Amino acid sequence: MSIATVTTDFNIGPFKIPSNGQSMIMNNYAQRKNLIVDLTIPEPMLSNSLATVQWMHKNYKLTKLILCSIYQLPFKQEGIEELLNNMANVEFNFALEGISGKGRDFLLNNINEIKMFRNAKIIDSTETSWVDLYKMTQEKDKF
Amino acid sequence: MKSMDIIKEVTSGPGYAVFPIENMDIFNTIRDNIFSKINTYKELGDNVDLIRKAMAKMSSAEVNKSMINLLKFNDFSEMIINSCPNLIKTLCGKKLFIQRRAHTVIKLPGEKQFKTLPHYEMMSGISPFSYIIWAPLHDIDDNEGGIYYLDKKKSSEIMKKEETEGLVNGPTILNMKIDKEPSRMKFGEAIIFSPFVMHGNNIFNSELARIAINIRFQSYNKPLLQKNTDYLKYYQLP
Repeated sequence: MSIATVTTDFNIGPFKIPSNGQSMIMNNYAQRKNLIVDLTIPEPMLSNSLATVQWMHKNYKLTKLILCSIYQLPFKQEGIEELLNNMANVEFNFALEGISGKGRDFLLNNINEIKMFRNAKIIDSTETSWVDLYKMTQEKDKF
Repeated sequence: MKSMDIIKEVTSGPGYAVFPIENMDIFNTIRDNIFSKINTYKELGDNVDLIRKAMAKMSSAEVNKSMINLLKFNDFSEMIINSCPNLIKTLCGKKLFIQRRAHTVIKLPGEKQFKTLPHYEMMSGISPFSYIIWAPLHDIDDNEGGIYYLDKKKSSEIMKKEETEGLVNGPTILNMKIDKEPSRMKFGEAIIFSPFVMHGNNIFNSELARIAINIRFQSYNKPLLQKNTDYLKYYQLP
C-alpha cells in the first residue's frame, strides 16, 4: 500500500498555494485521517494533467492519493480520459474540500463540479469594498 | 407568511424573517441525527431538554468531541436545503451553491462562556448574494440563548460609518451595546437573513445549552466572492 501526497503548480483554481503550504494542508489532512504518507510526488509547475502521478503509479502501485483540492484534477478532456483509465482504482483525497472516494463516477462528479465553479462569476475582492458589495445587492440588474 | 412575503422582508425589508420549516419530516430527522451524535449520555434517551441540561455542564473538551462526532453526519447540508425547498427555490432558483458542511452550534450558558460578538456574515468572504438560514433544534421561548438581529438599514449605516473610518468590524462594533432582545422561536421555525444583517448573541444564564444549525447558500447564477470549493458545493434542488 502506497499513500502519496501531490504538490502542483501554486495556481490551484482560484487559490494560490505555495508548495510548502500545500504540504502543510495535505499533511494535516493525513494526520486527521490517520494516514501514513509514503511519498510525495511533485508535479512540475504548469503541469495540469497529473501525468507524473500516473507515471509514478506504474512503479509504486499507489492506493491513496492526497491532493489539496479538486481543482488539481485535469480539466482537458484528453487528460481526464487518461486519468480515468489509469487511476480509477486509487482513492483520491481532497484536503480543502474534505472529500474522498475512488472510481470513475467519483472522479467525474468532481470534474463536473469544477466545471460548475469555473463557469461561475467571481467578484474580485481586491477591487471592492464592503459598501460596494452592499450596493451590488441593491442594484437589481447588476448580475 | 408566504414565500414571497418572506423574500420581500429579506431582500427589501429588515433583511431577515422568521419562517416555518416546510418539511418537518426532514427537519426532525436532522434533529434526531444531531442529537444521536452529540448525546454522549445514552441513558438520557431522546429527551431534548435532558440532553440540553447535560450538555450545559459539558467541558470544552467534551463539546469538541461531540462536534467531531458530527463530522460523520453526511448529507446534512442537503437535508437543511431540502427542508425549505420552496422558499429557497423562489429566492435563488433550483441551481445553487450551498455550504459544503452546514454548521451545528452548541452554546453553553454561564458567565465563563464567550458571547458571539456582533458581526456580519460577509466577514467570512461569502458572496454578498448569499443567504443564511439559522434554526434552533428546540424552542427558544425566553431571552436565554437566542440571537439578536439589527435590521439591514441600521447594519448598513454602521458599516458605512466604519468604512469612512477605515475599519471593518472594529472597536465600534466589538464594543457595541446591543439593546435588542434575542428572537424567540419555536422548534420548526427558522430565520433567513442577509449577509449584511448584523447579529450576535449574549452570555445567557440557563440550565440548558442552546443547540442550533445554520447554512449559507446562494444562486448558482450569482457571483462568488472569496469562498469557493473549499466551502461551497454545487447542488440542484429537485
